[in-house]
Amino acid sequence: MSDTTIETATATAPARRRAGMPLAIILALGWIGLVLFVALAADWINPYAFTAMDLRNRLAAPVFMGGSWSHPLGTDELGRDVLSRLIVSIRMSLLIAFGATLISAALGVALGFLAAHFRGLAEQAVMALVDFQAAMPFLILALAVLAFFGNSLALFICLLGLNGWERYARIARGLAISAGAQGYAAAVQQLGASPWRVYGRHVLPNIASTLIVSMTLAFPEIILLESGLSFLGLGVQPPGTSLGNMVGYGREYLTRAPWILLAPSVVIVLTTLAVSMLGDWLRDRLDPTLR
Amino acid sequence: MLRFLGTRLARALLTLVLVVTFAFVVLRLSGDPALLIMSADAPPEAIAAFRRAWGLDDPLWVQYLRYFGAILHGDLGQSMRDGRGAIELVAERVPATLALTLPALLIKIGLGIPAGVYAALHRNSWIDRGVMFLAVAGFTVPSFVLGLLLVLLFAVQLGWLPSGGQESWRHAVLPVITLGMGGAAVLARFTRSAMLEVLGQPYMRTALAKGVPWHVAVRRHALPNAAIPTVTIVGFMVGSLLAGAVVVESVFSWPGVGRLLVVAVSNRDLAVVQCILLLVAATMVTANLVVDLLYGVLDPRLRISAGRT
Amino acid sequence: MTPLLEARELVRRYSMRRGMLGRPVEVRAVNGVTLRLEAGRTLGLVGESGCGKSTTGRMVLGLEAPDEGDVQFEGAPMPPPGSLPWRRQRARMQMVYQDPLGALDRRLPIGVQVAEPLQIHGLPADATRVHALLRQVGLRPDQAERYPHELSGGQRQRAVLARALATDPVLLVCDEPISALDVSIQAQVMNLLVELQQQRGIALLFISHDLRAVRQMSHRVAVMYLGRIVEEGEPDAVLHDPAHPYAQALVSAIPDPTRRGNRIVLQGDPPNPAARPSGCAFHPRCPLAVSLCARQAPALKPRPGDGRLVACHVAQGEAAPMRKAA
Repeated sequence: MSDTTIETATATAPARRRAGMPLAIILALGWIGLVLFVALAADWINPYAFTAMDLRNRLAAPVFMGGSWSHPLGTDELGRDVLSRLIVSIRMSLLIAFGATLISAALGVALGFLAAHFRGLAEQAVMALVDFQAAMPFLILALAVLAFFGNSLALFICLLGLNGWERYARIARGLAISAGAQGYAAAVQQLGASPWRVYGRHVLPNIASTLIVSMTLAFPEIILLESGLSFLGLGVQPPGTSLGNMVGYGREYLTRAPWILLAPSVVIVLTTLAVSMLGDWLRDRLDPTLR
Repeated sequence: MLRFLGTRLARALLTLVLVVTFAFVVLRLSGDPALLIMSADAPPEAIAAFRRAWGLDDPLWVQYLRYFGAILHGDLGQSMRDGRGAIELVAERVPATLALTLPALLIKIGLGIPAGVYAALHRNSWIDRGVMFLAVAGFTVPSFVLGLLLVLLFAVQLGWLPSGGQESWRHAVLPVITLGMGGAAVLARFTRSAMLEVLGQPYMRTALAKGVPWHVAVRRHALPNAAIPTVTIVGFMVGSLLAGAVVVESVFSWPGVGRLLVVAVSNRDLAVVQCILLLVAATMVTANLVVDLLYGVLDPRLRISAGRT
Repeated sequence: MTPLLEARELVRRYSMRRGMLGRPVEVRAVNGVTLRLEAGRTLGLVGESGCGKSTTGRMVLGLEAPDEGDVQFEGAPMPPPGSLPWRRQRARMQMVYQDPLGALDRRLPIGVQVAEPLQIHGLPADATRVHALLRQVGLRPDQAERYPHELSGGQRQRAVLARALATDPVLLVCDEPISALDVSIQAQVMNLLVELQQQRGIALLFISHDLRAVRQMSHRVAVMYLGRIVEEGEPDAVLHDPAHPYAQALVSAIPDPTRRGNRIVLQGDPPNPAARPSGCAFHPRCPLAVSLCARQAPALKPRPGDGRLVACHVAQGEAAPMRKAA
């Protein structure tokens, strides 16, 4: 490659970056927007109550497989409308994923700051926990907790909130230590600021973009984890429903009514795909150090 | 090197202790095992007898120490459902799981690493794009969806392969592919980014500027350096050989450790869950230890810096 | 009259491990430093990097607790770092940093950051107050809206100074405040510091490796070598007639077109606090060292004759100088 091409490449890169997002990202954002809208407006756009049974219309095929428009995505074994169940499931899965992501980020950041602030023994303890968490497959830990505690929605969200906190803790600790070593955090502390002010007003906003990128990258993981556990019948319990749940129950009718399982599967795949593409894109734009 | 080994071993042991403590704490937090196991309307004498038999009347730290001691003696208790030893129950499931996870591991490594390296070396070619698309798809399609889609296609529509069970090698084909594909995608994606990072390093440019041929520079400098992060992921995959098939085993009703775990969790059979938890922790920790030692071989710097801190 | 600040026999140790089988080695970053500073005066602290001058500055400010010795500020001992009284005390003593960009939060405009110490200490933090502070350090009030990266290096240092002055402190520790700045800006910032000191009667501890800057700023100068003060006196006296061989070498290293020859080039390795030589820490590099220097550490005491504080057996006349062959 000659020098001139390098120069033109660097000269045009910022302009192109500003010009807009790649088409794939626009599509991803569009899908995320749609899913969010569905989740928020579930109660208004639902054609049927998600538990309503229509026993004369059991296992009705969806429109694209020759069914009628009264149940666009067909019905399940009890004649419940798949579209309505899908909409409620999207809301449930997103609620769990958002809740768990926030819990895990808050927990990780708090522990990371704790380690960075107190150093010494507290730091050793936090880092030992981080090692432990990183060394164990989370699905197994989650299953163990579910075995011991049984299941409820609140517990389930908190449990998934334990997934991946160690990544936030590592990031928060590292950045807080480097901010404190000789940077702005030490300077503010030296002004007499309380730790609350130092971490809340200065360190946290400064590392926020890194945290948001990590959260975006972790979000699909939580969706997959939730749907996996629900698929196994150990996550969201009936009469509640989630995307994984629908796949799990639909599996019984794989041969006779594959649509029951295909609709939620497509939503899971598209949502995780869209969010992780968005995450990758955000990372490359906002925080190339995070790899 | 001795010191390096020592700190790693200490860490591994600490992780195991943490797992045992975790199991104990969770066990105790979850409520009175006597009431959990016996039905709520059991006669009080029976509950008291149960408590005495399981040592639940002793102070907590005595229970903790006894718990620890029992585990050290290899006593992990009996399945609270059918009374057989938990270890025995788990052990008889291990071969079935390995029959899935070992071939799957071969697929992951044999497909994922070459694909990642090739994609990195031919960055932005259509093969790179194709590999990356498959890799992202492999990550975003959950294994139960992939497994069910394969069943739908090969078992239901085409009728080539059985959809579940464990009668012959043909039953293992779909679960192995399901497991292998997802892992290969993750590994390819990871290897590619590790390779790209290494290829951008100054020492690669220096080597090329010195006139070292491209393929020699890649073999001598890029591959060994990119191997370091890749080994971590492979180590994690090896470590999860026993537990990595929980979902897939359920999809294909394959009687392995993962199915046992799911059933034990739904039955709240604590001894079995605990035994699997410890087994998984032990394999994971061993794999991590091996990875750490491999690091020492691959990256001489780590041996020294580990001692220095 | 009690001095504003008095530090006695400060010692700060760090432990450091060398090599993979190494035992932890104790490193004495600061090894028995005593200094005092009167209100409204400037003490210059000069020495190479790694001599412990920054650590001394941090201990004097109470950012780090000394392992031995004590610091008295306005006649009272320092509260432990991070405690509430310590935090309150920050209003009275402030620090100016070498790297102003690092010391500022790059996400907040300058004005908000200058107002921050006022908010922390419960003082009125209105715009007029902030603008007055900015004007005092030579910034325009409209620059309050600027972010750190939109200012030049000198302007950033002025902003740091405005933030440090907000609570009207009586002591300012300046740790290499000009070494990251362009030479043309250095003089401006130094003049500003002198001006502010005259207006407000602030005491300055001016830490620098630049002997000329220290002379220009200070009422007294202390020269540090490997964690100890080796010479202390009036700036002109120390610069014209350094008594300690290390100070002589430092002075001779200042480029001076009128002086010819006789530049002392130090022999041996640069100082390493992890491997402190016995006796006088400077003796392996000292052109005048005698056998006593390797055995016994000299104390900092007034020299017979002019009373200059110097820690050197030869300069004190306790041992005869012996010129090594160059």
